[in-house]
Amino acid sequence: MHTLQDPEFGNKMVTLMAALVLVLQIAMVAQRWIVTSIRIFAAQSFLLAAIANTIAYYNHAPHIYAAAALTLLAKGILVPIVLERLVARIGIRQEIKPILNVPLSIVISGGLTLVGYVLAEPFYRPDEAPGAATLGHNALAVAISLFLIGFFMMINRRNALTQVLALLCLENGLFLAAISLTYGMPLIVELGVLFDVLVAVMVLGILVYRIRETFESVDVSRMRRLRG
Amino acid sequence: MGSPDPFLAAGLASFFLGAVSGLATWKRPATARIVAFAFAVLGSLLLAVASCLALARPSSATWSLPLVTLFQCTVRLDPLSAWFTLTLAILALAVSVYSFGYLRPLERTRNLGALGFFYNALLLGLALVFTAANAFFFLSAWEVMAVSAFCLVAFEHEKAETRSAAVVYLIMSHAGTVMMLAAFLLLAAFAGSTDFASFHLLASKLPPGEQGAVFLLFFAGFGVKAGIVPLHIWLPDAHPVAPSNVSALMSGIVIKCGIYGMARVFFDFFGPPPLWTGTVVLAVGVVTALVGVLYALQEHDLKRLLAYHSIENIGIIVMGFGAALMFRTLGHLNLAAMAIIGALYHTVNHAIFKGLLFLAAGSVVQSVRTRNMEEMGGLIRRMPGTALFFLVGAIAISGLPPLNGFVSEWLTYQALLAGFGTTHSLTRMMFPIAGALLALTAALAAACFVKAFGIPFLALPRSEAAANARETAPEMQYAMALLAAACFVLGLGATWILPVFDPITQQALGVQVSQSLVAHGFALQAGTAQSGTVSPAGIALVFLALVGTAAFLVNRRLRRARVATGPAWDCGLPGLTSDNEYTATAFSKPLRLIFSAFYRPNREIRPEYDVSPYYPSAIRFESGIEPTFEKHIYGPLKDWVFGLSRRMRAIQAGSIHAYLAYIFVTLIVLLLFGVRE
Repeated sequence: MHTLQDPEFGNKMVTLMAALVLVLQIAMVAQRWIVTSIRIFAAQSFLLAAIANTIAYYNHAPHIYAAAALTLLAKGILVPIVLERLVARIGIRQEIKPILNVPLSIVISGGLTLVGYVLAEPFYRPDEAPGAATLGHNALAVAISLFLIGFFMMINRRNALTQVLALLCLENGLFLAAISLTYGMPLIVELGVLFDVLVAVMVLGILVYRIRETFESVDVSRMRRLRG
Repeated sequence: MGSPDPFLAAGLASFFLGAVSGLATWKRPATARIVAFAFAVLGSLLLAVASCLALARPSSATWSLPLVTLFQCTVRLDPLSAWFTLTLAILALAVSVYSFGYLRPLERTRNLGALGFFYNALLLGLALVFTAANAFFFLSAWEVMAVSAFCLVAFEHEKAETRSAAVVYLIMSHAGTVMMLAAFLLLAAFAGSTDFASFHLLASKLPPGEQGAVFLLFFAGFGVKAGIVPLHIWLPDAHPVAPSNVSALMSGIVIKCGIYGMARVFFDFFGPPPLWTGTVVLAVGVVTALVGVLYALQEHDLKRLLAYHSIENIGIIVMGFGAALMFRTLGHLNLAAMAIIGALYHTVNHAIFKGLLFLAAGSVVQSVRTRNMEEMGGLIRRMPGTALFFLVGAIAISGLPPLNGFVSEWLTYQALLAGFGTTHSLTRMMFPIAGALLALTAALAAACFVKAFGIPFLALPRSEAAANARETAPEMQYAMALLAAACFVLGLGATWILPVFDPITQQALGVQVSQSLVAHGFALQAGTAQSGTVSPAGIALVFLALVGTAAFLVNRRLRRARVATGPAWDCGLPGLTSDNEYTATAFSKPLRLIFSAFYRPNREIRPEYDVSPYYPSAIRFESGIEPTFEKHIYGPLKDWVFGLSRRMRAIQAGSIHAYLAYIFVTLIVLLLFGVRE
């Protein structure tokens, strides 16, 4: 059998790329430059599209190609461009001090990855569905970790822009979970989710700009003043 | 005779159009007063026709309203519903006619379009509550009723007193709705449907624990609306502050929604319930009746006094239900039927005489511009019509023959006395005690209405306003005359009205007892071995004969004798003024002393001196009773809720990170401990 057609090879590829996605995510936790964070997000989205392509190839599911292409376009190219322009406009390039310091954040991210693996464990049943179906068992664990780390990043950051970015990473985790568990949701669902993300980026972009106008800062901690 | 349903549909449509016309005439009070209330009158007439048809020939047709909702808007006019819609129709007719006159002076200052809208919405909600045949539709109608009643109570919202009363009403009403909702959901989960038809006798098939829970939830939920003690505190605040036509509806029929709900649950959803349920209901009824009348005695605000009497009468009705539940469990279906008849008859009677009293009180308040009895006096000369109608209402509510209050209280009383003959040894003691306390309640009510009539209407005016009072608009007099006539008809014609209950008791218990309650065509009898017989019509005839003879004799004697008119004996003081009159406070003083253990009266006498302690220049006197329920139950409850809310504020930090962290921690905990297999 040709190496490329071996499901075992596919599995290894997916696992490798998923691991890279996770590493990128943790890199983002440690990153303080906003533009770099946006580029990490873009790279992560590229890798995600590649994972989707691989899964589509080994499961012969052509509609996942479409989802992969859309991911690439929207999250790999469009959203990063919009966000970089926003950074240029508000002129804030570096994250102010996060709530927890960088080493501690990385340790917590490691812990959350562990939680992700614990949670993914019950879904791994190689005896029931051998071969191509096991492709994603590592991917699911990574997906849950991505989700949790994204969430943690939202809590840990003060800058509204990095929070938007964290939300997008969280969404990436959901996408990965969807394709690794179900081998692609119907295209219409993918379209809906993507459209959702685009609208969210637009709205949040405007919101971030507004917060900056009102508070002379994008530090959401200051919104405490809005309390009645 | 045709089907009642077209008339019911037309009546509902009429109330709906009335509400719409209220909105349409939002800016034109003069038009709103005529159009909105004309629709209300029309709707009441149609509803009355529908109810009479449904009572005359019971049918069980269920049909749906053309509304788009998530549930079936089914409506059914069975005999029990018809009895309540008839009550509603009679009262709404009178109150709507009254409103034409009552609202005329308000045209310039008030938004009568809004009043017309909420008034018709209230009537529509009430009619739907009484006829809905689906739990969710019932609850929706209930909310329409409760919220429009809130808006009507808050109509004079510029007064702080009104606002706080309305808010308390809204809170309590919704607490009650929550309990009802919980009970309905328990039933629906068991029945697999929310149709009332599927609930029939279902509650008794529940496991004992759930059965008790459903029963108590329903009793408390409906009890809030009905005003049973200790859930009554909203009632004496909310009813008086509303415009008087609304007060009449609130006390007359809105609280009867609670009674309707209890009747529907106790005798339709439940089969023979456990004995303790009837005992609880009877005991609550006794306490409610006594507490209501005791507070009424010490109340000198005319409308608040009437509101407390509503609590008392609800207690009497609930006593009837309690007795009926116990009899049903003990297997005495005829006695149960008699107790139900007493309770339902008292429901319509109370709606009519309390409506009448509130309308008369509204007439007085409009004329004198105060609700305080101590500033009235002498109104019988200035407002003879209102005084006469108030007197009729007062006699009826005191349970004196031959008016309607007597008949229903007598039936309840006889049922309670007959209960002693039932076999069960321990619970049989409940009946004569309840009967004795019912008699006490009726006597205290009579004492209270001697005060409520005597102080405002007799003797000399106690204030400038009372001296200048004028009789109110003729429409108001017609409306009161209508209700006063109904008091006579329901009292004197009781023996002809009793057969109407046969379909209701047939549906609830499977027995018909009206034959055994009527003796010789015109007398009432209890239908049991050691019971009495009484004829309101006979009493009326004897009374007329005695009074006629006496009047004739006195008249003849007077014509022969020489009559001299002179000043009243004033103990040698220079002239009698209104300051020499007996006040309401003084009148109720003996009862305040007798029941001081209950009232815990406080009084403060503070003399003020200028020079010598032997010659006080002024004396301040204050006297009051302790608001037991507010102080010992609702005060601590309120403090507890507020304290809890203050503690809850700590987690409402207003920080986005904190909120995100709450979600995150919850998520992780649920993922780790909730999801695993």
